[in-house]
Amino acid sequence: MEYDLLLGSEGKIEFLLGNEAVVRGLYEAGVSVAAAYPGTPSSEIGDVLYKLSDRIGIKFEFSTNEKVALEVASAASAGGLRSFVFMKHVGLNVAMDSFVSLSGAGVKGGMVVFSADDPSMHSSQNEQDNRFLGKFARTIVIEPSSPQELKDYIVHAFDISEEVGHPVLIRSVTRISHVRAPVRLGEVKKKNEWKYKKSASLVLLPENAYKAQMSIVNRLEKVRSSKYNAILNSVYGDSSTLIITSGAAYNYIDEALQMLNVKARILKIGLSFPLDQEMILGEVEKAERVIFVEEGGPFLEEQVLSLCAIRSINKKFYGKINGSISTSYEMDVDRVAGFLSEIYGMPFQTKTQNLNLPERAPVLCPGCPHRATYYVAKLAMKQRGIQNAIVPTDIGCYSLGYYEPYQLGDYCFSMGSSIGSSSGFTMEAKERVVSFIGDSTFFHAGIPGLINAYHNDHNFVLVIMDNYVTAMTGGQPTPETTPPFKRVDIESVVRGIGIKNVYSMDPYDLKNSLDTFKKALDSNELAVIISKRECALEVDRKRAPSEAKVFQINQDKCNLCYNCVKNFACAAFYVDEGRVYIDPELCDGCSVCSEPLVCPFNAIEVKP
Amino acid sequence: MVSLVLAGVGGQGIITVANIVGKAALIEGKNALMTELHGMAQRGGKIVVEVRIGDYKSAIIPARSADIMLAFEELEGARNLSKLKESGVILLNRRMIHPVSLTMKIQDYPERIIAEALSKYKTINVEADQIAMNLGNRRVANTAMVGATFSTGLLNLREESLITAIKESLPEKHWDINTKAFEQGKILPAFETAKVA
Ligand code: SF4
Ligand code: SF4
Repeated sequence: MEYDLLLGSEGKIEFLLGNEAVVRGLYEAGVSVAAAYPGTPSSEIGDVLYKLSDRIGIKFEFSTNEKVALEVASAASAGGLRSFVFMKHVGLNVAMDSFVSLSGAGVKGGMVVFSADDPSMHSSQNEQDNRFLGKFARTIVIEPSSPQELKDYIVHAFDISEEVGHPVLIRSVTRISHVRAPVRLGEVKKKNEWKYKKSASLVLLPENAYKAQMSIVNRLEKVRSSKYNAILNSVYGDSSTLIITSGAAYNYIDEALQMLNVKARILKIGLSFPLDQEMILGEVEKAERVIFVEEGGPFLEEQVLSLCAIRSINKKFYGKINGSISTSYEMDVDRVAGFLSEIYGMPFQTKTQNLNLPERAPVLCPGCPHRATYYVAKLAMKQRGIQNAIVPTDIGCYSLGYYEPYQLGDYCFSMGSSIGSSSGFTMEAKERVVSFIGDSTFFHAGIPGLINAYHNDHNFVLVIMDNYVTAMTGGQPTPETTPPFKRVDIESVVRGIGIKNVYSMDPYDLKNSLDTFKKALDSNELAVIISKRECALEVDRKRAPSEAKVFQINQDKCNLCYNCVKNFACAAFYVDEGRVYIDPELCDGCSVCSEPLVCPFNAIEVKP
Repeated sequence: MVSLVLAGVGGQGIITVANIVGKAALIEGKNALMTELHGMAQRGGKIVVEVRIGDYKSAIIPARSADIMLAFEELEGARNLSKLKESGVILLNRRMIHPVSLTMKIQDYPERIIAEALSKYKTINVEADQIAMNLGNRRVANTAMVGATFSTGLLNLREESLITAIKESLPEKHWDINTKAFEQGKILPAFETAKVA
């Protein structure tokens, strides 16, 4: 069966994705409960757990958002079980309220919070470094560098967490979670027994919270003097130049030094908060100069520099604080070599060449229902003479509506922000406000915004693009998915708030959808359109290849009006010497382009 | 020690190919690393996967040091040439997937610029899609690319290891057709190399 290789016996070596190694780590650590909201680059953990949970005895759920997921896991840990919650970096912002307080309450069974950060924002809206949030919440922070360490450190993290009674934040990044490497499997531990004991420390009323502050300090002190420093930190190399590093950034140093033909002593930190102060300062004292190579912000650098200030240790320091290297974007061998070359005074040139090639912007899939919704939305606005509508959008595949030719999406920054910001825009804007949100995002963080909009009587059109799945992260379930789950119906939720102007439409039916849109645009109070059609990829996953139709352009009928390529812009169309074609390998057979509203000349037809 | 860049477009099954090569290395007791980037589009976005076999810690290949480029799509191959070393080899799957940005402006695929960029390297054409089509399943174009990569001799891996890795990566009902695709992918580039030489 799929993922059987994650259940192999101790000592076996498998070629695993970082995120798959995480799941093996959970199995080895004896975890009982896990919860998450999907987010790249952490999503595969959920995909694998979803399939394996029964076989490895982990109760796992996709929760509605990261805060709920964290609370689900923390309760299990209060009952003495080992629990795990994982998310992408920005997900921790959503969970922050409970996350910060959790470190005051402490844990009984080991509890690990896993954050997959995304330096360089390969699929994110920012590149925040969540180690800072871990330190802010005063949880323990652990940083692996490779898939093997992801697995091993997860096991250690649970041990520390349980020994000390404190939550641990593990920080991964894209280039660990999405790296595949050999991983040696370890021994599988027994799971803890459920034993819940009531305790004042779990109720953070002011009186108890006051005491909790001291217990945080005590627990962190225990970590500082624990055996785990020796296990998670390492040092090697003989040189008066000390490089302090951690996480993915570590992987690039040896090769960069080799390229420059220079040497350094490398101090690799795995336990990055609280720091093993004496060991680190001992190393710094011995060195002549100290270089920090980290993925993200100057996390170790800030801590070490403040310790040096207190102890009056004065060395040459290079890193992100003195501006030797920028805090933005991910590291790689070339970047580290470039940075080190200036310090060592060795010549190094990154050899890039610039070809002037056309960009390939991310696109909606062929057959994507969002394309049809956007096409109709633009048409309806045009027919109603609405120019310059303000279009807040949200986080999901549909944020690709930002790109040409739709250009629907001019305000977007966090999960659910489309609805709150729409309310704000309607306060003073003269323009019509039309906003877009996906189903999963609506459940995650859209509902409070919609209640606010109705209650405060804000007039805009909200389009909920309902494709029954969390599509952008690979097709995870949503609160609408059944069985085995109970189905939450979006329309009932919206109507339940009290909103009257609610319209459901099938975006593939362009003509009806156009009428629906116009009605909503004509409304003088809040209107909600629910555009319902299953994600094209999901349909594809379920059907046999033989069931799929392919469309083609009848060149005799085609009038070369180019409406299909200019305004509908399915990714399966292409142009060659002025003529329009459909790439049969890309066409999903959705048939939408064959409607007269796209091709007025009926030139698009099923390929026989 | 060998480094490969695989470039193409989402939906082409590139990750499977990289995975097969990595697994084959592991079967021979070698270290292998692989890293993938696929942006936010589920299909149709650009994809780059890097594979390194040998004693590496960094999965990301430094500029101008990849030995082989597997271009699953021509434009994406050209886009990632800065990874390839001067003496590197390009295995070019003759597949053009037009970027929407060009189609929207009624522009043709940029064949000329691509050809010019690729001409600086030793390029071997692989009709992977054609092989797959002839075998009756367009999805096996990948495995044809694995065969082609093997026959360059640059991988330094044994054929049996790659076949075992293919079988480990795919359900049993697909073994037969994929082994055939591997075989046919193997033949073509040898023939093409002879022509170039
Ligand atoms: S919309 Fe119809 S007539 Fe116009 S270019 Fe496209 S296929 Fe041809
Ligand atoms: S039928 Fe038309 S719109 Fe649908 S995927 Fe094929 S080309 Fe695109």
